[in-house]
Amino acid sequence: MTAVINFFTRTQGKKKLSLVDWVSYIFLFLGFLIIFLPVLWLLLNSIKSQFLLQKLDTNLLPMDYERIGRATVYGPEGKEIFMMKDLPSWVLYWSDLSEDERSQHDIDSFISQYGDKEFYALRSHFGLVPGQSKELIINKNLPEWLIKYPSMFPSAKKEYDPESVISVLNIEEVRLLSEYLGLKPYKPNGFTSQIFVTTVDSETSEVTEYSVSRISANKDTVNARLISNPQAGIVKLPKNEIILNKSLKPAWINYTNPLTKNVAGMDFDAVRCLNNSVFVTIVATLITLLINSMAAFALSKYRFNGQIIFFIIILATLMVPASVLIVGIFKMVSVTGLTGSLWGVIIPGAATPTGVFMLRQYMLTIPDELLEAARMDAASEWTIYWRIVLPLALPAVAVLGILSIIWRWNDLILPMIAVSTTKAAYTIQLCLLDFQGEYIAQEHYQLAMTVVSLIPTTLVFVFLQKYITTGIATTGIK
Amino acid sequence: MANLKLIDIKKSYGKTQVIHGVNLEVLDGEFCVLVGPSGCGKSTLLRMIAGLEAISDGSILIDEDRVNDISAAKRGLAMVFQSYALYPHMSVRQNLAFGLENLKLDKTEIEKRIQEAARLLRMEEYLKRRPGQLSGGQMQRVAIGRAIVREPSIYLFDEPLSNLDAELRVATRVELKALHERLGNTMVYVTHDQVEAMTMADKIVVLNEGIIEQVGAPLELYNSPANKFVAGFIGSPKMNFLDYSSLPESLKKFAPENSSIFGIRPEHLSITEENSLPLEVNSVEQLGSDSYLYGVTIGEQELSIKLNNQTDIRAQQKVDVGFDLDNAHWFDSAGKSL
Repeated sequence: MTAVINFFTRTQGKKKLSLVDWVSYIFLFLGFLIIFLPVLWLLLNSIKSQFLLQKLDTNLLPMDYERIGRATVYGPEGKEIFMMKDLPSWVLYWSDLSEDERSQHDIDSFISQYGDKEFYALRSHFGLVPGQSKELIINKNLPEWLIKYPSMFPSAKKEYDPESVISVLNIEEVRLLSEYLGLKPYKPNGFTSQIFVTTVDSETSEVTEYSVSRISANKDTVNARLISNPQAGIVKLPKNEIILNKSLKPAWINYTNPLTKNVAGMDFDAVRCLNNSVFVTIVATLITLLINSMAAFALSKYRFNGQIIFFIIILATLMVPASVLIVGIFKMVSVTGLTGSLWGVIIPGAATPTGVFMLRQYMLTIPDELLEAARMDAASEWTIYWRIVLPLALPAVAVLGILSIIWRWNDLILPMIAVSTTKAAYTIQLCLLDFQGEYIAQEHYQLAMTVVSLIPTTLVFVFLQKYITTGIATTGIK
Repeated sequence: MANLKLIDIKKSYGKTQVIHGVNLEVLDGEFCVLVGPSGCGKSTLLRMIAGLEAISDGSILIDEDRVNDISAAKRGLAMVFQSYALYPHMSVRQNLAFGLENLKLDKTEIEKRIQEAARLLRMEEYLKRRPGQLSGGQMQRVAIGRAIVREPSIYLFDEPLSNLDAELRVATRVELKALHERLGNTMVYVTHDQVEAMTMADKIVVLNEGIIEQVGAPLELYNSPANKFVAGFIGSPKMNFLDYSSLPESLKKFAPENSSIFGIRPEHLSITEENSLPLEVNSVEQLGSDSYLYGVTIGEQELSIKLNNQTDIRAQQKVDVGFDLDNAHWFDSAGKSL
């Protein structure tokens, strides 16, 4: 720890900070912020709840607002809106919970604390109506078409008369089945969690409580409903007058759900996606390094006919935009039967002109005398490449290795060309794309899994960057 | 152990011919030094022997086997490079072992040879270091050691001492000579330094512009150079050359027929009035044991003298210089010795 403090308080010789020190530290700090803030933003957003993300919440921290339940119950007296305070958060977020998490709560004992309209609201909220209705229909030996009735077309519904069938039941049972069947005056009841806000009257300092369904970033007012009298309708409150009660609430389910295959309506397997990506990245990088360094060795250390032409052709491919090659690569992959196989991702990108060029330029700096000495030492050309040239080109090889790992890990185009038809071969980038479907958008999972997908590349960089700075080849020859 | 024969070796780079037909025989166990000014083709010749450079024409025979088309790796020679060319990423031990591993020797044999070479060259204590951590002299030893462990039939040296400082160079020269005597191998040594050639060689080959000027034992070259180039190249300070026409009649009468140039080494001149020429001294170098005088004589021709004692002659002084005519050399107009 003292070493770290010493490191960050170093000065230019003298004890006191000189002007150069100030400028250096300010520069370093600004540079750090420019690079680190977007990363920090991503990290913090990945633990925001889906609700906050869909609202385009601009807070840096995952601050969630204090919530209140708003229920809409339909009955003989018509539509009634009322507020339910002090509900536990698992009730408010019930629709976001996974099956596992739902099963941890005892709904029946919870709901039995309530009566009347609150009971009806929560019964709908927990989705108990269809189950209890079906049970009732079977127990009372009511006709079976009742079960199918809610999903019938209106024309088909006309052929039945549910009211007369259920009229034999008691009032609670009639209410349950009416809610299920959608018979007037009953309807499925509504329940939403809303933001709890307060305003303070500047003169009387009287506090008024409201519930708000959303606070949009580009409007000056919010649509609020008075909690003491919800039926009174909606009032527009100026945004700068409302007081929000926020609390820090990281949504760890963004991570835990996808990692435990608990994403509703999707077959997301993080382990499989990461495995595919790791396989592609490692194998492709090894092949890339081998092929590129061999090509660079030949181009830099041998004299042969057409050497310049080969070099120019390799350089020329650098100037072709990658998007031009998409169709060609697709045809190549499908003709060779690699579609749907990870090798279809690995092989087309194995030889990179950038890598050949970079390694060739580095290998030119290795003295030819070393190769001649090795030849005198009875080394085969392969031995010269493997035991002399490759170790001496290690700094350049490490750079290319890091680049290749990052390219491969982040690559989206090649996997889309080669394996988009085969779910089992999806790399992590394709898997992430899946969260953004035509009908579903699960940015909260996407952000969290993006963070997970960043971990390997970060680790690789931390681990390999010392090889860049260690100039092994710089010592030895005079 | 092997002998080496070069038969009419030629080398061209494109249209430029740099070696014009070299014939040479190096006997088994001989220390042969190729010497000549820069650009005379001596290094090229050595690289052709090593197999690092293609041969344009002619044959190289090692033990009577033509090796022209055998690669450097298979010729069984070892070479010490001017820059040492040690593998910078390997320790000294790995540097020594590399060639032996390529020959697929077993580990105990490799270890034995490394220990022997390390003892011979006194480098046991830095076997574990990398070349970057060694001094110039130590790197030199490792480079030689790398050749020794191979136990090659012929050693090739390409100006191995030119990167060392003067003192170390003299010491290493002596060591190399001793090493040759101990090992008894055939060695071919390239240098531009005629002192190294004189002190180490059994046989000196003087090269100039791609042709051999003379081959012979050191003193043979010194005492009876075949031509003006060899006479001027061997010996320090170099031999004095005077035009025959400028000589006084008293000297001309000793000259053989067709003489065009008169040559005499500085040590064969003395301050005397017999058979003398006038000399205007330009500078004097006093080394304690001996003294060198540099000046001009008749026809503004330069002349240097080596005296085996200290002298009180000063610059700008005019003296008479006498000749030891027994040691005079006479050359014809083509530069050939008469």
